[in-house]
Amino acid sequence: MTGNSKHKIVDHLFRHQYGKMVAILSKIFGLPNLELIEDAVQDTFLNASLKWRNKLPENPEAWLTQAAKNRVIDLLRRINAEKERHHKVIHGAVAFDINEFFLNHEVEDSQLRMIFVACHPAFSKEEQIAFALKAISGFSMKEIAAAFLQKEETIKKRLSRARKKIRDLNITLDYPLPNEIQSRMSGVLQIIYLIFNEGLHSTKPDALINKDLCGEAIRLCKFLLVKENFRSGSLYALFALLCFHASRLESKLGNNEIIDLKHQDRSKWYLPLIVLGNDALKKSMQFNDRSVYHYEAAIASEHVKAINFENTDWNKILKFYEEMYELMPSDSILLSKAAIYLQMDQLIQAKSELVKIKPESLNQRRYLLHGCFADFYEKTGDTDKAVVELDLAINSCSNQLEKKYLARKKENIVNKT
Amino acid sequence: MKEFMMIFIGANYEEIGLSPEQLQERMGRWFTWGDKMQEQGILKGGAALLSKGKRISGPERVESDGPFVESKELVGGYYTVTAHSFDEVVKIAQDYPDYDLGGTVEIREVMKFDREQ
Repeated sequence: MTGNSKHKIVDHLFRHQYGKMVAILSKIFGLPNLELIEDAVQDTFLNASLKWRNKLPENPEAWLTQAAKNRVIDLLRRINAEKERHHKVIHGAVAFDINEFFLNHEVEDSQLRMIFVACHPAFSKEEQIAFALKAISGFSMKEIAAAFLQKEETIKKRLSRARKKIRDLNITLDYPLPNEIQSRMSGVLQIIYLIFNEGLHSTKPDALINKDLCGEAIRLCKFLLVKENFRSGSLYALFALLCFHASRLESKLGNNEIIDLKHQDRSKWYLPLIVLGNDALKKSMQFNDRSVYHYEAAIASEHVKAINFENTDWNKILKFYEEMYELMPSDSILLSKAAIYLQMDQLIQAKSELVKIKPESLNQRRYLLHGCFADFYEKTGDTDKAVVELDLAINSCSNQLEKKYLARKKENIVNKT
Repeated sequence: MKEFMMIFIGANYEEIGLSPEQLQERMGRWFTWGDKMQEQGILKGGAALLSKGKRISGPERVESDGPFVESKELVGGYYTVTAHSFDEVVKIAQDYPDYDLGGTVEIREVMKFDREQ
């Protein structure tokens, strides 16, 4: 095993174990002690990585679990809680009680509760994402900051605000009330979607795809699907969508450049994920709820089933976009429709969609609007206007790889004239 | 299959006063013992008991506050295990970590009704 892949494995092991340990310890000691708990877990892993420098233990997971149990003893001594049993360990038989928290179904339960806490409506979306990525997914503040193009200090503040809200509002490690579960789940799905999207279209200046974020989103989705009462059409649909997108990851980058859907090598698309996605999409239709994810998954499914770009069922996709727009109007849907009309050479319809879009509503993705306008002008033969739009796109884009892609496009147009 | 209770007597850590490192080391041995029994599928239950106690006794229902005995007589906790015989449980009890602190394990069989006699 190369040093690099061993590193990755340990990294991922630490991340997942981190989430597990934080969840278990939060169940034992309560969420108000979250900062202490996270420090303790971090410390445990620091010790582990020092001890494992030269050789991995036979069962790294068991090693970490044991270390976490030892931490419980340590934390019992340090935490002053109202309940007497947290004061000190006076007899070893308490090991039985402690062990119970580490049983598989208990750990799973704690982790699930943590997911719902992360998506508490009192947290802002930014706080939810930071909290989820740190406490559940085990990303470091540095990694979260890098992923979302923020300063580490900003992430630190978000986490600190979330922890303060936990204390001020007495948020406990519990499931939402039955009448709140649906709305909380919709928040959970949103966060998973945002995390995946960030990994897919990373706003980092350099790497376009952050596989770790995508993988983590899928992992969280899969985790929720295990529990029957949390399954829904939306959850299955989201999972299908993530699978479809993830199946195409290998084909998106070549020579450190972006390859668009039209030119992606479809043989590089990972079939098992497509099969998984189709399965999930089918299951999603068996439920009564309908969501934006249903449509996005259906559209993604149309793309992955087409033999090549030209053979894609554009009309079907268009219809899905229209239905999606009825469910939840957004300018980015109009943009997608415009792109499809362009593909079908229906220029008048394309233009009519494009002019309805307000660039500000697309935020950091507004360069996509300019890119689409550029495509439009290229098709109408208006190369000067196309170049102007591409320049606008390049200037409003923060991703180096996307910038390169747009610059190449501009070069192609300029060279033709 | 029978069920037995191992009653742990004496060896109260608070009274003895262990350092954090000593406590950590000792708990490590309890965790190991617990894991071993879990793996064998024989551990059914267990708990540690806090020292403070209350007693209500006799026809007069006299109430009194404890602890009531010398600390080496104090019940600190218990584990219940499944086994075929006392001899088997004596073997299991060899891994009790606190003998060196003067602790005692008392083994008693649990009365079960759903057994063929």
